[in-house]
Amino acid sequence: MSMRELVTGGAACAVPGSSSSSSNPLGAFANALIGSSSKTQGVLKEIPNAAAASPHAQFYPHADDPVAALPGSELDRPFLQSNPQGSEFIRGFRTADANGLADAWEEIQRQPHFDRVYEGATPAPPIQPSLDGIRPFDPRPPQRVLSSFLHSFVDSSRSGIPLHPTPLPLLGLSQGDKQCIRDRSSIMARHIFADKSEEFINAQVNALLSSLEIENDIHARGPMPGRFRELEDYWNESQGVLKPGAHAADGWVTEFSQNRPHHGDLEAWAHSFEQKHGAGGWASEFEQEQAQLTSVDQMRGGNIESLAAIQQTRMLAHTLSQNSDPKFQNSKFLQFVSKMSRGELIIDDNQVKPASENWATEYQQQYNGGASWADEFVHDEASRDLVEAKEAYRLICPDNQICYSGWWFFDFFQPDQWAEEFATVFRGPDHWANEFGAERLQQESVDDQWVNEFSKLHVDDWAEEFGRQVGEGALGDSSSDNWANSYDEFLNEQLVAKQRSDASRGVYVFSDMNPYVGHQNPLKEGQELFRKGLLSEAVLALEAEVMKNPENAEGWRLLGITHAENDDDQQAIAAMMRAQEADPTNLEVLLALGVSHTNELEQTAALKYLYGWLRHHPKYGTLAPPELANSLYYADVARLFNEAAQMSPEDADVHIVLGVLYNLSREYDKAIASFKTALKLKPNDYSLWNKLGATQANSVQSADAILAYQQALDLKPNYVRAWANMGISYANQGMYEESIRYYVRALAMNPKADNAWQYLRISLSCVSRNDMVEACDSRNLELLQKEFPL
Amino acid sequence: MANTELKSDNLFEMMKAHLASDAGKELTKKIGLVYQINIAPKKIGFDEVSYIVDLKKGEVTKGKYEGGKPDAIFSFKDDDFMKVATGKMNPQIAFMRGAMKIKGSLSAAQKFTPDIFPKPAKM
Repeated sequence: MSMRELVTGGAACAVPGSSSSSSNPLGAFANALIGSSSKTQGVLKEIPNAAAASPHAQFYPHADDPVAALPGSELDRPFLQSNPQGSEFIRGFRTADANGLADAWEEIQRQPHFDRVYEGATPAPPIQPSLDGIRPFDPRPPQRVLSSFLHSFVDSSRSGIPLHPTPLPLLGLSQGDKQCIRDRSSIMARHIFADKSEEFINAQVNALLSSLEIENDIHARGPMPGRFRELEDYWNESQGVLKPGAHAADGWVTEFSQNRPHHGDLEAWAHSFEQKHGAGGWASEFEQEQAQLTSVDQMRGGNIESLAAIQQTRMLAHTLSQNSDPKFQNSKFLQFVSKMSRGELIIDDNQVKPASENWATEYQQQYNGGASWADEFVHDEASRDLVEAKEAYRLICPDNQICYSGWWFFDFFQPDQWAEEFATVFRGPDHWANEFGAERLQQESVDDQWVNEFSKLHVDDWAEEFGRQVGEGALGDSSSDNWANSYDEFLNEQLVAKQRSDASRGVYVFSDMNPYVGHQNPLKEGQELFRKGLLSEAVLALEAEVMKNPENAEGWRLLGITHAENDDDQQAIAAMMRAQEADPTNLEVLLALGVSHTNELEQTAALKYLYGWLRHHPKYGTLAPPELANSLYYADVARLFNEAAQMSPEDADVHIVLGVLYNLSREYDKAIASFKTALKLKPNDYSLWNKLGATQANSVQSADAILAYQQALDLKPNYVRAWANMGISYANQGMYEESIRYYVRALAMNPKADNAWQYLRISLSCVSRNDMVEACDSRNLELLQKEFPL
Repeated sequence: MANTELKSDNLFEMMKAHLASDAGKELTKKIGLVYQINIAPKKIGFDEVSYIVDLKKGEVTKGKYEGGKPDAIFSFKDDDFMKVATGKMNPQIAFMRGAMKIKGSLSAAQKFTPDIFPKPAKM
């Protein structure tokens, strides 16, 4: 049961506007009150404190007076015993211990009349059992306060009156309690306020939580066990597509992450799942849920619009119609879906009917979830190649051992059936959808089989297969680890890519939690830190400055320089662009932009800024005809700079720009000569030494480069870029072991230097230090520093 | 030097020199295969420029391969190739996302890892 909830996002993660996917509103509510139920009992058991989390009376010596004064305490009365089904339910709850609850739950699901109890009581039953009703032998005043308070929260749903934060007496809630309440109330709020807007729901939940002194976000979004964070974020994200209430998913995620450390890893997860349910357990639960959905539908009496379903399908139809494959375009499935999206067809009581009634909502949502999942895959056009690849792979590489371990997914194909399964999925909606569509239309008028078919078709096999594979250890530890790692990486990379695309669009990304915000003179502080070589600190101080004075060109400029020295060109460019906006003619800014774009191999942009430097230079500006700016050619710009250099051979800056320009055209020898000339004029410019070194490295004179970098580092020991460049030089000479030490050193100074992490990973895999690759992926600097001291 | 030049051009130029170095010679010894890499500015299959990375002889040449059939052919967009070559995206992921197309021998393709490319140093 619990697994199904987790996996399908069923009752625990309800969708606004479709209370039936919350298979049991009372259950959800009771959860919120007592913080335990069948589906979370397992989880709670694993959380220290949570099981024994209920505060005890001694925390609350003066219970009576404040309780009476609290909102909602008027609801604090015994449950109406006259309702036989209800008390049955309560008894189920009361008698259930940790293990028995699941049974009780299922018993309740099967009760035919259960639904009727709540018929007149949507969206939320106004009268609920108080805790005393549930646990008569254990009266706990603080919980009563809590429960009445929660009642008033529920009540506000009927009136639509915003709940106001109310100071409550000290409840002595433990972390586990708080988390539990937070998660549950977020989820519950989405059930009971299903007709309200998202803002309203959030406001309500926040009011509730702040009254209970629970911080809403920090724990939910805070550090989660590292490896699976991306997975969870990603899950969240994908849930967000289906439903506006991402918070509901949050709760799920938190539970999941709490559960996670105890289950250790994926395999354990699969194991325990299998043990608990047997291989086909998931599927049968899925079926159960389908049955349950039907009954819930009866409960709702069909008076809720099927709008949601239509909307969902419309989205689906749209997505699917993006697929240009003619075979797919003509498929019955697509026609089916688009009919559904227009409301012409509706699935009612497991039968497809011309539009009139509305079974479909939940089913649609779930099933749309599947489709969008499939859709993910169709974007990867790799699909068909993959099937061929599998074939080829088996022919070419039967002894899988020699393969580069990173190519996990080929390794993964070895177990045959799995490959078949996977390939089917990978072939994407095209194939899947055709099959699905065909089946659907044939069975249009048939009955419950419909659901059974569906669940067997997709879930049973898959789950069984997966369970079997993992159970047998057919994949071996390493390949499933690889699988997990690579998938993590894939997600990670997607997140990074998102941030990256922000940065490369020139949007500056500020750090969270900046201690310098509110500092009296952050600019001065930043300059001081920069001078001391504390680059990452300087970044924070300077960010505080430019947040305070967004037009401060000097703040932005120094921020950009700092980022460049800290080996982050994207941020450097973003900051420098802001500096340039504030002061379009600042020569240092223009040069810095030219250099950064050169580093990013963005030639056109680099050329523009270097030309801008010349144009705005008081001395050489006359050399640059303004009309040239519209059509810049490298040769013209280089010629102009050469003229400038002849005009004043003593100006180091001209030589520097010339050196950068020659880098652009890969005339490294000329570039080296220019930088050497400039160095004669400015021997203490550490960034100039680094430029020389980088140029030498790029022209494969790594040994010389290392000497130049060393000069730079003697002048500025915390020059992250030079450290990273050192690493690159060693790596390019095949001295990976050395390169690792330098990368690690650079990263110790700036853990945000993404390039260095990537290069470090490559070097680590080159020396076959897979253990350390893991440390690299989890960004465990401490371990890396210990292993590779410089 | 036209403005529409690819970022990847830089890398292949660097690679020419790199393969002549000791580390480069190691590489030819280790891999000993011929790759063709097609780079498209915007979309795979359009306006592609081909490079032959000959890790038998230790050469990089622009244009079609003269010596027969390369062991594996990869197609990338310019940006994606840079990401793969500099370790920002691993080849498996690139392949999964359709950012990299592979033709030819799979065992040859599997030796295609970011460490065959030199890393650009930054000024």
